[in-house]
Amino acid sequence: MNYNRRKFLRRVSAGGLAYALSRTPGTVWGQMAGAGGFGEYRALVCVFMFGGNDSWNMIVPRTTAEYNAYKSARGGEQVVGVSTSGLAVPFASLLPIDPIGTTGAPFGFHPSMIGVQQLFQTGKAAVVTNIGPLLAPTTKAAYAAGSANLPPQLFSHNDQQDQWHSLRGRNVSKTGWAGRVADLVTSQVPNQQLAVNLSLAGNSYFQAADTVSPYVMGTNGPVAFAGFAPTTNATNVARRQTVEAINNQTYGTIYERAFAGVTKRAVAFADVVNNAINAALPLVALPNSNTGLSSLEQQLRTVAKLISQRATLSMTRQIFFVSVGGFDSHDDQNNDQPALLANISSALSRFYAATEELGVQNSVVTFTQSDFGRTLTSNGDGSDHAWGGQQLVVGGPTALLGQRIYGTYPTLAINGPDDVGGGRLIPTTSSDQYAATLAKWFGVTDAQMPQVAPSINNFTTKNLGFLV
Amino acid sequence: MARSIKIAQLAIAGFLVFVAGCSGGAGSSSPPPPVPPPPISKIEAYRFLNQATFGATDAEAQRLIALGDSTNSYSRWLDEQFAKAPSTQLPTVVAAVPNPIPAGFNIGSLHAQRVEAWFQNVLNGDDQLRQRVAFALSEIMVVSQLGALANFPLSLADYHDMLARDAFGDYRKLMEDVTLHVSMGIYLSMLGNQKPNPALNIRPDENYARETMQLFSIGLVELNVDGTPRLVNSQTVPTYDQSIIEGFANVYTGWRYAYPGVTLFANAGRATLTNQVQPMQAYADQHSTGTKKLLSYAGAAVTTIPAGQTPAQDLANALDNIFNHPNVGPFISKQLIQKLVTSNPSPAYVARVAGVFNSDSQGRRGNLQSVVRAILLDSDARSAPSAQTAGKIKEPLLRLTQLWRAYGARAASGKYTATAPGFPSATFAQGPLQSGSVFNFFSPFFAPTGEIANQNLVAPEMQLATEYNNTQIMNFFWAQAIARTTAQTGLGADVVVINTTQEQAVANDSEALVNRVADKLLGGQISAELKASVKAQVNLTATTVPNTRVADAIYLIATAPEFVLQR
Repeated sequence: MNYNRRKFLRRVSAGGLAYALSRTPGTVWGQMAGAGGFGEYRALVCVFMFGGNDSWNMIVPRTTAEYNAYKSARGGEQVVGVSTSGLAVPFASLLPIDPIGTTGAPFGFHPSMIGVQQLFQTGKAAVVTNIGPLLAPTTKAAYAAGSANLPPQLFSHNDQQDQWHSLRGRNVSKTGWAGRVADLVTSQVPNQQLAVNLSLAGNSYFQAADTVSPYVMGTNGPVAFAGFAPTTNATNVARRQTVEAINNQTYGTIYERAFAGVTKRAVAFADVVNNAINAALPLVALPNSNTGLSSLEQQLRTVAKLISQRATLSMTRQIFFVSVGGFDSHDDQNNDQPALLANISSALSRFYAATEELGVQNSVVTFTQSDFGRTLTSNGDGSDHAWGGQQLVVGGPTALLGQRIYGTYPTLAINGPDDVGGGRLIPTTSSDQYAATLAKWFGVTDAQMPQVAPSINNFTTKNLGFLV
Repeated sequence: MARSIKIAQLAIAGFLVFVAGCSGGAGSSSPPPPVPPPPISKIEAYRFLNQATFGATDAEAQRLIALGDSTNSYSRWLDEQFAKAPSTQLPTVVAAVPNPIPAGFNIGSLHAQRVEAWFQNVLNGDDQLRQRVAFALSEIMVVSQLGALANFPLSLADYHDMLARDAFGDYRKLMEDVTLHVSMGIYLSMLGNQKPNPALNIRPDENYARETMQLFSIGLVELNVDGTPRLVNSQTVPTYDQSIIEGFANVYTGWRYAYPGVTLFANAGRATLTNQVQPMQAYADQHSTGTKKLLSYAGAAVTTIPAGQTPAQDLANALDNIFNHPNVGPFISKQLIQKLVTSNPSPAYVARVAGVFNSDSQGRRGNLQSVVRAILLDSDARSAPSAQTAGKIKEPLLRLTQLWRAYGARAASGKYTATAPGFPSATFAQGPLQSGSVFNFFSPFFAPTGEIANQNLVAPEMQLATEYNNTQIMNFFWAQAIARTTAQTGLGADVVVINTTQEQAVANDSEALVNRVADKLLGGQISAELKASVKAQVNLTATTVPNTRVADAIYLIATAPEFVLQR
């Protein structure tokens, strides 16, 4: 990217969007070809489960020996409603799945995840197992000897969230991997009316970029400016211009400049995005009524509506960030986890169905991230912070090679080959490999990949292969 | 704006001249008549009060100025504040508990009374500094209504009252009060934490052990006294490892609800209205009795707890061990500076305050009253700000409370939060003790894309400044300015109105109107550009519609970056 290009991008991201906004919507395809950009629409949707999902209860082995090891490590089977019983999901309640290839061993989903089980069995979902932040392949021996090159502050919430978001390892980085992807691809999608990165869940390190600011809206999209309407009143129109003028002033502090930048983007985009969402047709899978829809499902409904308006907004590449909290199950895990996982399952399957309604199921890949996996051992009524865990990827059959478990399913045993103590498992697949696989599909080149996933060259497998 | 800064600089210069004159005058044969120190300016008063209260007001600025001169006004104001008794929340919430409690009563609904009490205290309480420091502490030692404490409004009200009581006290006592509070016990799951049971692969819960060190006391890496990371071979040095987490996790075992006279852990698992506002009680039968590894650092008294001590002995050893770690001074001092004065304090500023934390003028460690005084009287807090990094963004709740305090906001019913469910968090993305996680509404390390991140600076409160949140808050302020003022009639008894009588009186004169609003909200310090923009907008509306003219002036200034900035 040459200097002039960067300068141009910076100007655009700083709010000089008159150019992007002035073009006639709806002609994106022809222009894309002319611009040398991407030919087809693609979107990544990150579902972040804040708190650290106890994913060893999400996909469980069903061979006798492996299940028994798991049950023992988790202090025995759960008794429904008894928080102090063991943490293991009862064998009989597991929802069986038949993964293609890999070990061929039978597995099962948590009983509250019937939606995801069905997606998996029909090839529309995949599991990436024993994954977590790594700087290089790491052995138990090296870990014990203190010679392993490790991400800093393992087992700490915000630090490990930061690792998933940024893949920074031990480097200082102010950007997240989605932010860096946006920095790399924005030059190829110059006609997009909105930033590559859109968040339904606040500011995130994941989307922080060097040049291209993400745009943050609420669960149901942006809100309109109350003082700027109706526009039939000239004073209201002028009020908008006055707000823009005030935020375009030259300010003496970094704080005023940053704040003004956000407000300028808010003013510039509120109507554009609201009009798009309002123009979207209702979805059967994620209906307009909020009744029975979780916050996560409402966020994903807004995502689906914006995707449906991709032509109007001239969008070719989008990364959405949605999130759900409550996964830090130190306490009362047996009572809390079923609803947490049911929500994930319902949200992922409803959103996938919405993409089928829109005919974009092969253009949209949804993936989960979470702080860390949790300890296999119990603290009496819950589990604590650990390291490797399992993640889900959802997409249509020509995008995703589904019904498979990627990575190496670990031995779920205390003092097993991957356990560094208390059932904290060393990941055997890295977050960098996961991000690189997603970014490659999105359009990042192999040469650019170390900018997105800085440790990727430390791993032999640079693409986990779950995306076509 | 240029003129205003000049005035402020003159005031400081005058102060320095006076001091120099005093010390130099002793040897002179005919000393010049002493120049009386000037009073502090209104701009200076506003700056100080925005650091030390929930929003500067005309009246409080005038009172502060009248307390003395530039050498003693601030100090006298602080002395007054240190002596104020804390405003409380718990009695308000307790009074709202129905007696008898009807079947099916949702006790969680009483959080509304807790939030209402917070607004009453921070808007009208005279212990402004204490409440402001308690608010800062509530964003460091975080507990939240969202999650496991949804049904503990009494306990959370008591937690905030505890922070207010301890705000000018001893940090070691604060650590212990926090550790044993039922709210923290539930939130970070120390309450009910049991000793190991190897047969079932059960080990103690590590949640509180980890977060109390990471967030409430020492942080993740060793610090110099100026708050910068200590580097060895250009690498940071971790303050603890997993084995130390496990040591502390074992310390924090055996604590549950207080049941005086009860000795068995198993019999103390039920919360009541009474025991949720009492410190947790120790139950030795579930306390881990083995040795426990603590933090090692130069001068640490106990680095391994011997086997067989009582829960209380272990806790005392453990909290002493954390409290005396050299990181606590810089770690806590820097965060308090960031909450009260500036997001990017100079290392020298942090070092001066941390020095006071480590040993105040009486030789006491962790005296928060001395620390708060040092933060607010420091030259970096008091001399006229000129650096591009000076000051901070006001977090959303503080923008609201400042507007409301400056405009004497009140409802006929006297309530502040009765009109809208979910107020204030639904609009302002935060509310008292309503963080989404123990990591607070915003991280002390947050840096928005652009020059702040590029220069390795931070703007923590910017984490809440999303396009969405900025719009929501601007819309609230528009609704307040256009439709919820003393100029409107027929509003409901619970509608909070701002008093715009003075603005209405000068509404036909845009210059006077804008000056009046700038006086109240900015202490008179308004840029020429902002003033011109607001005047032009005001003048678009005929003087026959004074309400819109007044609304534009208030809305545009209260949402301008100049108001959002805490100088």
